[in-house]
Amino acid sequence: MGGITGLLMALAVAGGLLAVSLKNVLHAIFGLALTLLAVAGLFAVLGSPFVATMQVLIYVGGITVAMVFAVMLSTVVQKHATESPWRRAGAAVVALGFAVGVGMVIAAAGLPDGPAPELVADAWTVRQIGTSLLGDYNVVFEVLSVVLLLAIIGAIVISRHEGEEKQS
Amino acid sequence: MNLESFLLLALILFSLGLYAVMSRRNMIAILIGIELMLNAASLNFMAFNRFLPVEDPTVGQIFVLFIIGLAAAEVAIALSIILIVYRQRKRIDVDDITELKG
Repeated sequence: MGGITGLLMALAVAGGLLAVSLKNVLHAIFGLALTLLAVAGLFAVLGSPFVATMQVLIYVGGITVAMVFAVMLSTVVQKHATESPWRRAGAAVVALGFAVGVGMVIAAAGLPDGPAPELVADAWTVRQIGTSLLGDYNVVFEVLSVVLLLAIIGAIVISRHEGEEKQS
Repeated sequence: MNLESFLLLALILFSLGLYAVMSRRNMIAILIGIELMLNAASLNFMAFNRFLPVEDPTVGQIFVLFIIGLAAAEVAIALSIILIVYRQRKRIDVDDITELKG
């Protein structure tokens, strides 16, 4: 178990480094996909295969593919100007400062060390998630469905309106 | 495999996303950074739910599912905005976008 977890963590960090460092956006998207897959594996290690499946289906299968389509439709990969070194240095300073600060907080927080407690029987099953989703969190579930509907309508309206305007 | 290692991994992913959002100019690259940060948050929710005793053992998974759903909505809107900007300016640099009305 420990070896698999370490491997998945290393893969996640490697994919993240690729995603932020590669110049070609298409390659960066594949780095992001590597990270997403590794995080899905970590979800499975943490004991929730259902959420891991959803992560693979929606993130890797949906969001990554949509991003690849956007890159293909806006072919700007080659003629993209490079970022100025000052901009990158400033961003690196802020990100490193954030990482060190939060790392100190984590180190000083006195978190419980040692392995995870035993999984409570049938506490992390799909049945339990469904009961919780349609029971306690019913309102949030419905609001999220409205948000998704609005997002779909908004995306269609935004891109169609501009297209017709351009043709006229 | 303890709680701290998961939190440190999430911290590394979040910092990488923060760096990408602040340093890149390509809008799709910035979107990649945002996705990295959202994933770090999901990982934190799952790890805390697994390692610390909570009243309802499914709450972390529910939060992660909501985060995934909101990320899908966000990407749909962001990509349609990117496509409009590309149609009008033939570039997708954030530095070019200085007005709300095209």
